[in-house]
Amino acid sequence: MRAPVCLTLLAAAPASAFATDYLTADQAQRLMFPDATSFRAQDLALDSAQMKQVEQLAALPARSVHWHVIAAYKADALLGWMVLDNVVGKFELISYAVGLNLDASIKQVEVLSYRESHGGEVRNPAWRRQFVGKRAPAGLSVGDGIANISGATLSCTHLTDGVRRIAAIAQVALKK
Amino acid sequence: MRRRARPLLGTLVDVAVASAPAHVDADAAIDAAFAAVALTHRLMSFHEVGSDVSRLNRAPADTVVAVDPHTWQVLALAQQLCAASGGVFNIACAPRLVEWDCLPAPDLARPAWAQQTAVFALEEGGRVRKLAAGWVDLGGIAKGYAVDLAVAALRAAGVKGGCVNAGGDLRVFGPHAFPIAVRNPSAPAHAGAHLELRDEALATSACCFSAREVGGRRVSALVDGRSGEPLDTAASSSVFAPACALADALTKVVAATGDPGHPALATVGARALIM
Repeated sequence: MRAPVCLTLLAAAPASAFATDYLTADQAQRLMFPDATSFRAQDLALDSAQMKQVEQLAALPARSVHWHVIAAYKADALLGWMVLDNVVGKFELISYAVGLNLDASIKQVEVLSYRESHGGEVRNPAWRRQFVGKRAPAGLSVGDGIANISGATLSCTHLTDGVRRIAAIAQVALKK
Repeated sequence: MRRRARPLLGTLVDVAVASAPAHVDADAAIDAAFAAVALTHRLMSFHEVGSDVSRLNRAPADTVVAVDPHTWQVLALAQQLCAASGGVFNIACAPRLVEWDCLPAPDLARPAWAQQTAVFALEEGGRVRKLAAGWVDLGGIAKGYAVDLAVAALRAAGVKGGCVNAGGDLRVFGPHAFPIAVRNPSAPAHAGAHLELRDEALATSACCFSAREVGGRRVSALVDGRSGEPLDTAASSSVFAPACALADALTKVVAATGDPGHPALATVGARALIM
Protein backbone atom coordinates (compact mmCIF):
# COMPACT_ATOMS: atom_id res chain seq x y z
CA MET A 1 0.00 0.00 0.00
CA ARG A 2 1.42 3.34 -1.01
CA ALA A 3 1.62 6.37 1.22
CA PRO A 4 -1.32 8.74 0.97
CA VAL A 5 -1.12 11.39 -1.71
CA CYS A 6 0.97 14.30 -0.52
CA LEU A 7 -0.53 17.51 -1.80
CA THR A 8 0.09 21.18 -1.65
CA LEU A 9 -3.31 22.75 -2.14
CA LEU A 10 -3.20 26.24 -3.49
CA ALA A 11 -6.02 28.37 -2.19
CA ALA A 12 -6.48 31.11 -4.79
CA ALA A 13 -2.71 31.42 -5.16
CA PRO A 14 -1.69 33.39 -8.26
CA ALA A 15 0.01 30.38 -9.82
CA SER A 16 2.15 31.23 -12.81
CA ALA A 17 0.91 30.18 -16.21
CA PHE A 18 1.89 26.71 -17.36
CA ALA A 19 4.77 26.80 -19.78
CA THR A 20 7.32 24.41 -21.24
CA ASP A 21 10.19 24.90 -23.67
CA TYR A 22 10.87 21.74 -25.60
CA LEU A 23 13.31 22.50 -28.40
CA THR A 24 14.91 25.56 -29.88
CA ALA A 25 14.48 26.06 -33.62
CA ASP A 26 18.14 25.07 -34.04
CA GLN A 27 17.64 21.82 -32.15
CA ALA A 28 14.50 21.04 -34.15
CA GLN A 29 16.17 21.56 -37.53
CA ARG A 30 19.12 19.34 -36.56
CA LEU A 31 16.71 16.66 -35.31
CA MET A 32 14.68 16.78 -38.53
CA PHE A 33 17.67 16.92 -40.90
CA PRO A 34 20.58 15.17 -39.17
CA ASP A 35 22.49 14.94 -42.48
CA ALA A 36 22.28 18.66 -43.24
CA THR A 37 25.50 20.66 -43.37
CA SER A 38 23.83 24.07 -43.60
CA PHE A 39 20.50 25.75 -42.98
CA ARG A 40 19.30 28.89 -44.76
CA ALA A 41 16.39 30.98 -43.55
CA GLN A 42 14.09 32.28 -46.26
CA ASP A 43 11.02 34.46 -46.12
CA LEU A 44 8.25 32.85 -48.12
CA ALA A 45 5.62 35.27 -49.39
CA LEU A 46 2.47 33.76 -50.90
CA ASP A 47 0.76 35.58 -53.76
CA SER A 48 -3.01 35.79 -53.89
CA ALA A 49 -3.37 32.81 -56.25
CA GLN A 50 -1.25 30.68 -53.89
CA MET A 51 -3.30 31.86 -50.90
CA LYS A 52 -6.45 30.63 -52.66
CA GLN A 53 -4.85 27.27 -53.49
CA VAL A 54 -3.72 26.81 -49.88
CA GLU A 55 -7.25 27.53 -48.68
CA GLN A 56 -8.68 24.99 -51.10
CA LEU A 57 -6.16 22.28 -50.20
CA ALA A 58 -6.28 22.75 -46.44
CA ALA A 59 -9.95 23.78 -46.21
CA LEU A 60 -8.73 26.47 -43.80
CA PRO A 61 -8.03 30.19 -44.11
CA ALA A 62 -4.44 30.68 -45.34
CA ARG A 63 -4.12 33.16 -42.44
CA SER A 64 -0.81 34.77 -43.41
CA VAL A 65 1.08 35.89 -46.51
CA HIS A 66 4.54 35.57 -44.94
CA TRP A 67 5.98 32.32 -43.64
CA HIS A 68 9.23 31.61 -41.87
CA VAL A 69 10.95 28.82 -43.79
CA ILE A 70 14.37 27.28 -43.17
CA ALA A 71 15.87 25.27 -46.03
CA ALA A 72 18.17 22.35 -45.12
CA TYR A 73 21.13 21.55 -47.37
CA LYS A 74 23.76 18.85 -47.56
CA ALA A 75 26.55 20.71 -49.34
CA ASP A 76 24.62 22.21 -52.31
CA ALA A 77 21.83 19.63 -52.34
CA LEU A 78 18.49 20.75 -50.91
CA LEU A 79 17.15 18.14 -48.43
CA GLY A 80 13.88 19.75 -47.40
CA TRP A 81 12.46 22.56 -45.31
CA MET A 82 11.34 23.38 -41.81
CA VAL A 83 8.47 25.86 -41.41
CA LEU A 84 8.03 27.68 -38.09
CA ASP A 85 4.63 28.82 -36.86
CA ASN A 86 2.58 29.66 -33.75
CA VAL A 87 -1.01 28.76 -33.02
CA VAL A 88 -3.30 30.22 -30.40
CA GLY A 89 -5.82 28.02 -28.61
CA LYS A 90 -8.29 28.54 -25.83
CA PHE A 91 -5.65 29.93 -23.50
CA GLU A 92 -2.48 28.44 -24.91
CA LEU A 93 0.12 29.54 -27.41
CA ILE A 94 2.05 26.78 -29.15
CA SER A 95 5.20 27.40 -31.20
CA TYR A 96 5.96 24.50 -33.48
CA ALA A 97 7.99 23.41 -36.45
CA VAL A 98 7.01 21.23 -39.39
CA GLY A 99 9.75 19.39 -41.27
CA LEU A 100 8.96 18.79 -44.96
CA ASN A 101 10.47 16.52 -47.59
CA LEU A 102 11.18 17.73 -51.14
CA ASP A 103 7.90 16.20 -52.36
CA ALA A 104 6.06 18.36 -49.74
CA SER A 105 5.18 15.37 -47.56
CA ILE A 106 5.47 15.89 -43.81
CA LYS A 107 8.70 14.52 -42.39
CA GLN A 108 8.26 15.44 -38.74
CA VAL A 109 6.34 17.75 -36.41
CA GLU A 110 7.95 19.08 -33.24
CA VAL A 111 6.48 21.42 -30.65
CA LEU A 112 9.05 24.06 -29.67
CA SER A 113 7.24 25.68 -26.79
CA TYR A 114 3.92 25.68 -25.02
CA ARG A 115 2.56 28.61 -23.04
CA GLU A 116 -0.68 28.96 -21.13
CA SER A 117 -2.01 32.16 -19.81
CA HIS A 118 -4.86 32.82 -17.45
CA GLY A 119 -5.14 36.42 -18.57
CA GLY A 120 -5.84 37.92 -21.97
CA GLU A 121 -2.16 37.95 -22.97
CA VAL A 122 -2.40 34.91 -25.20
CA ARG A 123 -4.39 36.89 -27.78
CA ASN A 124 -2.02 39.85 -27.57
CA PRO A 125 0.47 39.79 -30.50
CA ALA A 126 3.23 41.51 -28.49
CA TRP A 127 2.99 38.89 -25.75
CA ARG A 128 3.11 36.15 -28.38
CA ARG A 129 6.08 37.62 -30.23
CA GLN A 130 8.34 37.41 -27.20
CA PHE A 131 8.28 33.61 -27.39
CA VAL A 132 8.92 33.18 -31.10
CA GLY A 133 12.27 31.57 -31.72
CA LYS A 134 12.96 31.82 -28.00
CA ARG A 135 15.91 29.92 -26.61
CA ALA A 136 16.07 28.42 -23.17
CA PRO A 137 17.93 30.65 -20.70
CA ALA A 138 21.65 29.94 -20.41
CA GLY A 139 22.50 27.27 -17.88
CA LEU A 140 19.02 25.78 -17.92
CA SER A 141 18.48 22.80 -20.15
CA VAL A 142 15.19 22.71 -21.94
CA GLY A 143 12.42 20.95 -20.05
CA ASP A 144 14.14 20.98 -16.66
CA GLY A 145 12.08 21.21 -13.52
CA ILE A 146 8.89 22.15 -15.29
CA ALA A 147 5.82 20.40 -14.02
CA ASN A 148 3.68 18.20 -16.18
CA ILE A 149 0.01 19.07 -16.10
CA SER A 150 -2.78 16.63 -15.33
CA GLY A 151 -6.33 17.76 -16.02
CA ALA A 152 -9.23 17.45 -18.40
CA THR A 153 -7.87 16.81 -21.89
CA LEU A 154 -7.32 19.99 -23.84
CA SER A 155 -7.76 19.27 -27.53
CA CYS A 156 -5.15 20.63 -29.93
CA THR A 157 -7.31 20.97 -33.02
CA HIS A 158 -5.74 24.36 -33.79
CA LEU A 159 -2.30 22.72 -33.85
CA THR A 160 -3.35 19.88 -36.17
CA ASP A 161 -5.05 22.52 -38.37
CA GLY A 162 -1.80 24.50 -38.37
CA VAL A 163 0.16 21.45 -39.52
CA ARG A 164 -2.39 20.83 -42.28
CA ARG A 165 -2.10 24.45 -43.44
CA ILE A 166 1.69 24.19 -43.64
CA ALA A 167 1.44 20.92 -45.58
CA ALA A 168 -0.76 22.76 -48.09
CA ILE A 169 1.66 25.70 -48.28
CA ALA A 170 4.49 23.27 -49.00
CA GLN A 171 2.42 21.66 -51.74
CA VAL A 172 1.65 25.03 -53.36
CA ALA A 173 4.83 27.03 -52.83
CA LEU A 174 7.79 24.80 -51.88
CA LYS A 175 7.48 21.43 -53.62
CA LYS A 176 10.24 20.65 -56.14
CA MET B 1 16.61 15.97 -19.52
CA ARG B 2 15.36 15.76 -23.10
CA ARG B 3 11.71 16.63 -23.51
CA ARG B 4 9.72 16.76 -26.75
CA ALA B 5 6.06 17.08 -27.67
CA ARG B 6 3.90 16.27 -30.69
CA PRO B 7 0.21 16.55 -31.54
CA LEU B 8 -1.17 12.99 -31.30
CA LEU B 9 -4.42 11.42 -30.05
CA GLY B 10 -6.13 14.79 -30.57
CA THR B 11 -4.02 16.35 -27.85
CA LEU B 12 -0.44 17.24 -27.06
CA VAL B 13 1.75 14.25 -26.17
CA ASP B 14 4.83 15.14 -24.13
CA VAL B 15 7.71 12.66 -23.72
CA ALA B 16 10.59 13.31 -21.31
CA VAL B 17 13.78 11.29 -20.85
CA ALA B 18 15.20 12.15 -17.43
CA SER B 19 17.94 9.57 -17.09
CA ALA B 20 19.57 7.21 -19.53
CA PRO B 21 23.01 5.60 -19.81
CA ALA B 22 25.45 7.46 -22.07
CA HIS B 23 25.08 4.95 -24.92
CA VAL B 24 21.32 5.50 -25.17
CA ASP B 25 20.19 7.92 -27.89
CA ALA B 26 17.46 9.86 -26.07
CA ASP B 27 15.97 11.23 -29.30
CA ALA B 28 15.74 7.77 -30.87
CA ALA B 29 14.03 6.53 -27.67
CA ILE B 30 11.57 9.44 -27.79
CA ASP B 31 10.88 8.72 -31.48
CA ALA B 32 10.04 5.12 -30.51
CA ALA B 33 7.71 6.39 -27.77
CA PHE B 34 5.90 8.68 -30.23
CA ALA B 35 5.63 5.76 -32.67
CA ALA B 36 3.92 3.69 -29.95
CA VAL B 37 1.41 6.48 -29.35
CA ALA B 38 0.80 6.85 -33.09
CA LEU B 39 0.21 3.08 -33.37
CA THR B 40 -2.43 3.26 -30.62
CA HIS B 41 -4.06 6.15 -32.47
CA ARG B 42 -4.17 4.21 -35.76
CA LEU B 43 -5.65 1.12 -34.12
CA MET B 44 -8.09 2.66 -31.66
CA SER B 45 -9.24 6.00 -33.05
CA PHE B 46 -13.00 6.46 -33.34
CA HIS B 47 -12.38 8.97 -36.15
CA GLU B 48 -10.03 6.97 -38.40
CA VAL B 49 -12.05 4.95 -40.90
CA GLY B 50 -9.52 2.09 -41.01
CA SER B 51 -8.99 1.67 -37.26
CA ASP B 52 -9.94 -1.55 -35.45
CA VAL B 53 -12.53 0.44 -33.52
CA SER B 54 -14.14 1.79 -36.71
CA ARG B 55 -14.24 -1.67 -38.25
CA LEU B 56 -15.84 -3.05 -35.13
CA ASN B 57 -18.38 -0.21 -35.05
CA ARG B 58 -19.41 -0.74 -38.66
CA ALA B 59 -19.57 -4.53 -38.32
CA PRO B 60 -23.10 -5.97 -38.35
CA ALA B 61 -24.40 -7.99 -35.40
CA ASP B 62 -23.35 -11.65 -35.30
CA THR B 63 -20.10 -11.10 -37.17
CA VAL B 64 -16.54 -11.56 -35.98
CA VAL B 65 -13.85 -8.90 -36.41
CA ALA B 66 -10.13 -9.68 -36.15
CA VAL B 67 -8.26 -6.93 -34.30
CA ASP B 68 -4.67 -6.17 -33.36
CA PRO B 69 -3.48 -7.77 -30.08
CA HIS B 70 -3.17 -4.26 -28.57
CA THR B 71 -6.81 -3.45 -29.36
CA TRP B 72 -7.91 -6.82 -28.01
CA GLN B 73 -6.00 -6.18 -24.81
CA VAL B 74 -7.64 -2.76 -24.32
CA LEU B 75 -11.08 -4.25 -24.97
CA ALA B 76 -10.30 -6.99 -22.43
CA LEU B 77 -9.28 -4.40 -19.85
CA ALA B 78 -12.46 -2.44 -20.61
CA GLN B 79 -14.52 -5.58 -19.94
CA GLN B 80 -12.68 -6.15 -16.66
CA LEU B 81 -13.25 -2.56 -15.50
CA CYS B 82 -16.88 -2.58 -16.64
CA ALA B 83 -17.46 -5.64 -14.44
CA ALA B 84 -15.50 -4.22 -11.49
CA SER B 85 -17.43 -0.94 -11.64
CA GLY B 86 -20.89 -2.45 -12.06
CA GLY B 87 -21.22 -0.96 -15.55
CA VAL B 88 -20.20 2.60 -14.64
CA PHE B 89 -17.25 2.22 -16.99
CA ASN B 90 -18.90 1.56 -20.33
CA ILE B 91 -17.18 2.06 -23.69
CA ALA B 92 -20.46 1.67 -25.63
CA CYS B 93 -21.76 5.17 -24.80
CA ALA B 94 -20.47 6.54 -28.12
CA PRO B 95 -23.98 6.97 -29.66
CA ARG B 96 -24.67 9.58 -26.97
CA LEU B 97 -21.37 11.36 -27.71
CA VAL B 98 -22.27 11.40 -31.42
CA GLU B 99 -25.72 12.79 -30.54
CA TRP B 100 -24.03 15.57 -28.54
CA ASP B 101 -21.54 16.31 -31.32
CA CYS B 102 -18.57 15.21 -29.21
CA LEU B 103 -17.74 12.53 -31.82
CA PRO B 104 -18.44 12.23 -35.57
CA ALA B 105 -20.90 9.53 -36.68
CA PRO B 106 -19.02 6.51 -38.12
CA ASP B 107 -21.86 5.68 -40.54
CA LEU B 108 -25.51 6.32 -41.18
CA ALA B 109 -26.73 3.81 -38.61
CA ARG B 110 -27.87 5.35 -35.35
CA PRO B 111 -27.58 2.58 -32.78
CA ALA B 112 -28.77 3.25 -29.26
CA TRP B 113 -26.21 3.46 -26.46
CA ALA B 114 -26.00 0.16 -24.62
CA GLN B 115 -24.02 -1.70 -22.03
CA GLN B 116 -20.75 -2.76 -23.66
CA THR B 117 -21.30 -6.41 -22.68
CA ALA B 118 -24.40 -6.38 -24.91
CA VAL B 119 -22.44 -4.95 -27.86
CA PHE B 120 -19.39 -7.20 -28.11
CA ALA B 121 -17.72 -10.28 -26.64
CA LEU B 122 -14.07 -11.25 -26.84
CA GLU B 123 -13.03 -14.50 -28.45
CA GLU B 124 -9.71 -16.31 -28.58
CA GLY B 125 -7.17 -15.48 -31.26
CA GLY B 126 -7.58 -11.71 -31.23
CA ARG B 127 -11.17 -11.85 -32.40
CA VAL B 128 -14.14 -9.80 -31.29
CA ARG B 129 -17.75 -10.89 -31.80
CA LYS B 130 -20.22 -8.10 -32.43
CA LEU B 131 -23.33 -9.10 -30.52
CA ALA B 132 -25.63 -6.22 -31.41
CA ALA B 133 -25.62 -2.90 -33.25
CA GLY B 134 -23.62 -0.38 -31.25
CA TRP B 135 -20.61 1.90 -31.26
CA VAL B 136 -17.66 1.62 -28.93
CA ASP B 137 -15.27 4.45 -28.23
CA LEU B 138 -11.96 3.83 -26.48
CA GLY B 139 -11.49 7.55 -25.77
CA GLY B 140 -11.79 6.83 -22.06
CA ILE B 141 -8.96 4.31 -21.88
CA ALA B 142 -6.78 4.32 -25.03
CA LYS B 143 -4.89 7.50 -24.17
CA GLY B 144 -3.76 5.80 -20.98
CA TYR B 145 -2.85 2.65 -22.87
CA ALA B 146 -0.85 4.72 -25.37
CA VAL B 147 1.09 6.22 -22.45
CA ASP B 148 1.84 2.73 -21.12
CA LEU B 149 3.07 1.59 -24.55
CA ALA B 150 5.23 4.69 -24.87
CA VAL B 151 6.77 4.03 -21.44
CA ALA B 152 7.48 0.43 -22.51
CA ALA B 153 9.16 1.76 -25.68
CA LEU B 154 11.37 4.13 -23.67
CA ARG B 155 12.36 1.32 -21.32
CA ALA B 156 13.07 -1.04 -24.21
CA ALA B 157 15.38 1.62 -25.64
CA GLY B 158 17.36 1.64 -22.39
CA VAL B 159 15.90 4.75 -20.74
CA LYS B 160 16.00 4.46 -16.95
CA GLY B 161 13.67 7.28 -15.96
CA GLY B 162 11.17 9.49 -17.71
CA CYS B 163 7.63 10.73 -18.12
CA VAL B 164 4.99 10.43 -20.83
CA ASN B 165 2.01 12.79 -20.70
CA ALA B 166 -0.85 12.50 -23.22
CA GLY B 167 -2.88 15.62 -22.56
CA GLY B 168 -3.05 15.11 -18.82
CA ASP B 169 -2.99 11.31 -18.63
CA LEU B 170 0.56 10.63 -17.62
CA ARG B 171 2.98 8.08 -16.21
CA VAL B 172 6.39 8.50 -14.68
CA PHE B 173 8.98 5.75 -14.24
CA GLY B 174 12.44 5.34 -12.81
CA PRO B 175 14.18 6.68 -9.74
CA HIS B 176 13.10 10.33 -10.11
CA ALA B 177 10.12 12.03 -8.59
CA PHE B 178 8.42 14.30 -11.15
CA PRO B 179 6.64 17.52 -10.25
CA ILE B 180 3.03 17.44 -11.43
CA ALA B 181 0.46 20.22 -11.40
CA VAL B 182 -3.21 19.23 -11.33
CA ARG B 183 -5.49 21.75 -12.99
CA ASN B 184 -7.99 23.56 -10.85
CA PRO B 185 -11.31 22.53 -12.48
CA SER B 186 -12.92 25.88 -11.77
CA ALA B 187 -9.92 27.83 -13.12
CA PRO B 188 -8.23 25.36 -15.50
CA ALA B 189 -5.30 27.61 -16.39
CA HIS B 190 -4.24 27.48 -12.73
CA ALA B 191 -2.84 24.64 -10.68
CA GLY B 192 -5.24 23.41 -8.01
CA ALA B 193 -2.60 21.15 -6.52
CA HIS B 194 1.09 20.41 -6.87
CA LEU B 195 2.41 16.95 -6.18
CA GLU B 196 5.31 14.68 -6.87
CA LEU B 197 4.88 11.40 -8.64
CA ARG B 198 7.29 8.47 -8.67
CA ASP B 199 6.89 5.24 -10.66
CA GLU B 200 3.16 5.68 -11.02
CA ALA B 201 0.46 6.85 -13.43
CA LEU B 202 -1.98 9.69 -12.91
CA ALA B 203 -4.99 10.63 -15.01
CA THR B 204 -7.61 13.31 -14.50
CA SER B 205 -11.10 13.75 -15.90
CA ALA B 206 -13.26 16.85 -15.67
CA CYS B 207 -15.99 18.46 -17.72
CA CYS B 208 -14.38 21.89 -17.82
CA PHE B 209 -13.13 21.71 -21.43
CA SER B 210 -15.95 19.69 -22.98
CA ALA B 211 -19.15 20.89 -21.25
CA ARG B 212 -21.57 22.80 -23.48
CA GLU B 213 -25.25 23.24 -24.33
CA VAL B 214 -26.81 20.98 -26.95
CA GLY B 215 -30.53 21.46 -27.60
CA GLY B 216 -30.94 23.46 -24.40
CA ARG B 217 -29.29 20.72 -22.37
CA ARG B 218 -25.88 20.72 -20.74
CA VAL B 219 -23.68 17.87 -21.98
CA SER B 220 -20.03 16.89 -21.74
CA ALA B 221 -17.69 14.24 -23.05
CA LEU B 222 -18.10 12.35 -19.75
CA VAL B 223 -21.00 9.91 -19.53
CA ASP B 224 -22.36 7.78 -16.71
CA GLY B 225 -22.12 4.30 -18.24
CA ARG B 226 -25.09 3.03 -16.25
CA SER B 227 -27.62 5.62 -17.48
CA GLY B 228 -26.03 7.07 -20.62
CA GLU B 229 -26.53 10.51 -19.06
CA PRO B 230 -23.90 13.25 -19.33
CA LEU B 231 -21.95 14.20 -16.24
CA ASP B 232 -22.13 17.85 -15.35
CA THR B 233 -19.87 18.15 -12.37
CA ALA B 234 -17.69 21.08 -11.40
CA ALA B 235 -15.21 18.66 -9.79
CA SER B 236 -12.23 16.96 -11.36
CA SER B 237 -11.41 13.34 -10.62
CA SER B 238 -7.83 12.15 -10.56
CA VAL B 239 -6.74 8.55 -10.22
CA PHE B 240 -3.29 7.22 -9.30
CA ALA B 241 -2.62 3.69 -10.55
CA PRO B 242 0.27 1.38 -11.47
CA ALA B 243 -0.60 1.75 -15.18
CA CYS B 244 -2.00 4.71 -17.08
CA ALA B 245 -4.76 2.73 -18.87
CA LEU B 246 -6.13 1.87 -15.41
CA ALA B 247 -5.83 5.45 -14.17
CA ASP B 248 -7.46 6.83 -17.33
CA ALA B 249 -10.44 4.44 -17.21
CA LEU B 250 -11.01 4.72 -13.48
CA THR B 251 -11.28 8.52 -13.56
CA LYS B 252 -14.63 7.95 -15.33
CA VAL B 253 -15.80 5.67 -12.52
CA VAL B 254 -14.81 8.17 -9.83
CA ALA B 255 -16.31 11.09 -11.79
CA ALA B 256 -19.63 9.30 -12.32
CA THR B 257 -19.99 8.00 -8.78
CA GLY B 258 -18.33 10.88 -6.92
CA ASP B 259 -16.77 8.15 -4.80
CA PRO B 260 -12.99 8.42 -4.30
CA GLY B 261 -13.15 5.09 -2.43
CA HIS B 262 -15.00 3.17 -5.16
CA PRO B 263 -14.27 -0.55 -4.74
CA ALA B 264 -13.10 -0.86 -8.37
CA LEU B 265 -10.01 1.18 -7.43
CA ALA B 266 -8.71 -1.29 -4.88
CA THR B 267 -9.02 -4.22 -7.33
CA VAL B 268 -6.10 -2.76 -9.34
CA GLY B 269 -4.15 -0.95 -6.63
CA ALA B 270 -5.42 2.53 -7.53
CA ARG B 271 -6.49 5.49 -5.42
CA ALA B 272 -8.34 8.70 -6.21
CA LEU B 273 -8.42 12.40 -5.54
CA ILE B 274 -11.49 14.55 -6.17
CA MET B 275 -10.89 18.26 -6.42
